[in-house]
Amino acid sequence: MVIKNRSRICLIISAVIIVAALLLHLFGMGINLGIDFSGGLSMQYDMKTAVNASDVTAVLDKMGVVDNTVQIQGANSNEVNVRIKNLDKDDVQKVQADFEAGVKEIYPEAESVGDVNYVGPVAGETLVRNAVISVLLAAALMLIYIAIRFDLNSGIAAVFGLLHDVLIMLSFMVIFRSVIQMNSSFIAAALTIVGYSINNTIVIFDRIRENAKKMPTIAREEVTNISIRESLGRTICTTVTTLITIVALCILGVASIREFALPIIVGIISGVYSANMINGYVWAFLEEKRRSRKAKA
Amino acid sequence: MKSGNKRVGGKTGAIIALCVLLVVTIALGVIGVTGVSLPPRGLHKVLSWLPTTNSDNWPESLPLGLDLRGGMYVEYSGKAPEGSTADFDSLREGTMSIIRSRLSDKGFNEANVQRLGSDGIRVEIPNVQDDTVLDLIGAAAKMEFKDPSGNVFMTGDMVKTAAYSYGEKGHQIAFELTPEGAKIFGDMTAANVGRNLVIELDGETLIDATVQQAILDGHGVITGNYTQDEATSVAAKIQSGALPLELTQQKVDKVSATLGQDAVSSSVRAALIGILLIMLLMIVRYRLNGLIASWALTIYTILLFMLIALFGIQLTLPGLAGVVLGIGMAVDANVIIFERFNEEVRKGRSAKAAVRAGFKNAISAILDANVTTLIAAIVLLFYGTGSIQGFAKTLLLGVVVSMFTAVIVTRFLMNRFVNAGATNTSLYTKVNAEAEKEVEA
Repeated sequence: MVIKNRSRICLIISAVIIVAALLLHLFGMGINLGIDFSGGLSMQYDMKTAVNASDVTAVLDKMGVVDNTVQIQGANSNEVNVRIKNLDKDDVQKVQADFEAGVKEIYPEAESVGDVNYVGPVAGETLVRNAVISVLLAAALMLIYIAIRFDLNSGIAAVFGLLHDVLIMLSFMVIFRSVIQMNSSFIAAALTIVGYSINNTIVIFDRIRENAKKMPTIAREEVTNISIRESLGRTICTTVTTLITIVALCILGVASIREFALPIIVGIISGVYSANMINGYVWAFLEEKRRSRKAKA
Repeated sequence: MKSGNKRVGGKTGAIIALCVLLVVTIALGVIGVTGVSLPPRGLHKVLSWLPTTNSDNWPESLPLGLDLRGGMYVEYSGKAPEGSTADFDSLREGTMSIIRSRLSDKGFNEANVQRLGSDGIRVEIPNVQDDTVLDLIGAAAKMEFKDPSGNVFMTGDMVKTAAYSYGEKGHQIAFELTPEGAKIFGDMTAANVGRNLVIELDGETLIDATVQQAILDGHGVITGNYTQDEATSVAAKIQSGALPLELTQQKVDKVSATLGQDAVSSSVRAALIGILLIMLLMIVRYRLNGLIASWALTIYTILLFMLIALFGIQLTLPGLAGVVLGIGMAVDANVIIFERFNEEVRKGRSAKAAVRAGFKNAISAILDANVTTLIAAIVLLFYGTGSIQGFAKTLLLGVVVSMFTAVIVTRFLMNRFVNAGATNTSLYTKVNAEAEKEVEA
């Protein structure tokens, strides 16, 4: 007995995405870590006129600051975001003052806007540790809850899907590294998906639980098919309502909201995909195995 | 009998109930936006609690987090000094209370000092963008002894111990000097009998008293109109000199106020657009039930912000995003119920029977789906830091409130509408001709 064709293809697609992201990561093109994770100093300046990135880089070079990223933003490319990694906290004030003096020679009207943000090197490690602990803890608690309310195989299949969604979100962060940075809000986004996207799976599994009792002789995979089809109306409607608000937030929101909303959108789409194309079939696969073991015994 | 009453009052009762709820909803909505002054003479004022897209007009009752109102925050990790045997948490509490009093002494009354994780402290100072505040937090408490002409003759490092005690003049701080300090203090008091000596802590006069006689044994007390807590805290400050914990600065963040205003108004606008689109979608797809869901969603929004205001939950940027996301998720329970309802109608059940069966079939999925979301929110509440906790709180509250509105309020409304005469199933969903016939037969 193999996992049904359709879900096998879907598993392969997901695996390709995840492996591609992993390879990119191994070749040094991993997630674009924001200041919350990497540590360092982040500053935002409005130059009042269009900025030439090389001017800003030249200022930093002159100061001897090596590990930096310069991003031009704003409607008229008039804003610049500078991130300097590996900076000692005692140097922060000096670097900030030197930089301001340096850019003012080129852009006399430059002024500091938005966040000025310093993060020590240890903070990022704590953040990563907390993030991993919280995702695994939430997954473990859900496995227990679903195993009690449904059965162990449902729990395993649901948590499988949940980890799949988080991995897809991480892969997205790798693949779109030039567009989006990872900051602490990503942890909130991942946990939201862990909590929310499992709803799709739960509603489908609820249907399966109901149908499985009614159809003891039909193959589990077929029960899964029927249940997914019966839940489809709800799945689509709820996904659309949730996407409406989060997409509105993403379009209207400021940069830091977008940093949070975009991974959630990816997670929601991945969640619908795994709930309908993967998780039920993983359950069916596990359940048939259990049945055949039972039959042999 | 009850059942008799029900039958007689069935239709009228249902219509009255719907009208009452409509009036209550509208009233709450209006009060939520404008606030209201209660008689007599408007002394008791209920503040508005519903946000508007104009961030200048933000309701007072919804406190905004630092990331939305501008200001700065600092995160420290703390370490007990080497050789210290004291309980870490009480050291941390001591440190936090010293930081608090230092900030409020300097006029930063809105500063907020809280614990962070297992060993950290987070300090938030609204409306400030100045690094010098940080020096204030980390500085050692400075104790100075001054002679009658105001010259410092001794500092706090000559103090061996300081502790709270209770004496003739009430709560006081008893201190003991080092042998060297005792000698200096002895000489000074001997030379200045009848004159005033002053002891200052962080520039604040602790005591300014006339020396009655030479104090040679190195023991002294500081009295004043202290409460027990004040005396204990002053003693702790003197005793520690420096903060009880060694602090390492982990993170400093300065946020401009304009950025926050943009974030607030754009999030509220996103929420409004989201709500309207969701209502439209629900009404197109579920007809009368969609109207019911829209009503329930209105009540959800009013209640959610009311509870946020009541609990005083600080709205942070992720917190606001949690509210907006929650609006999208809140109708999920409605969708599950309506889909089940439509299935029953398609089987040929009457609207009344479909409501009952629809709820019965939907409730397990709703419960399980919400419990899993709650699990994630609770984990976030414990492991999240700073503004992410704000997100966890609004998400948590959102799930609980949506369970109430999407299940209880919706059921109430559906039953009342059916009782009020909205029994034609085509009011709710497309009914195929065969099922229609079956019902008639």
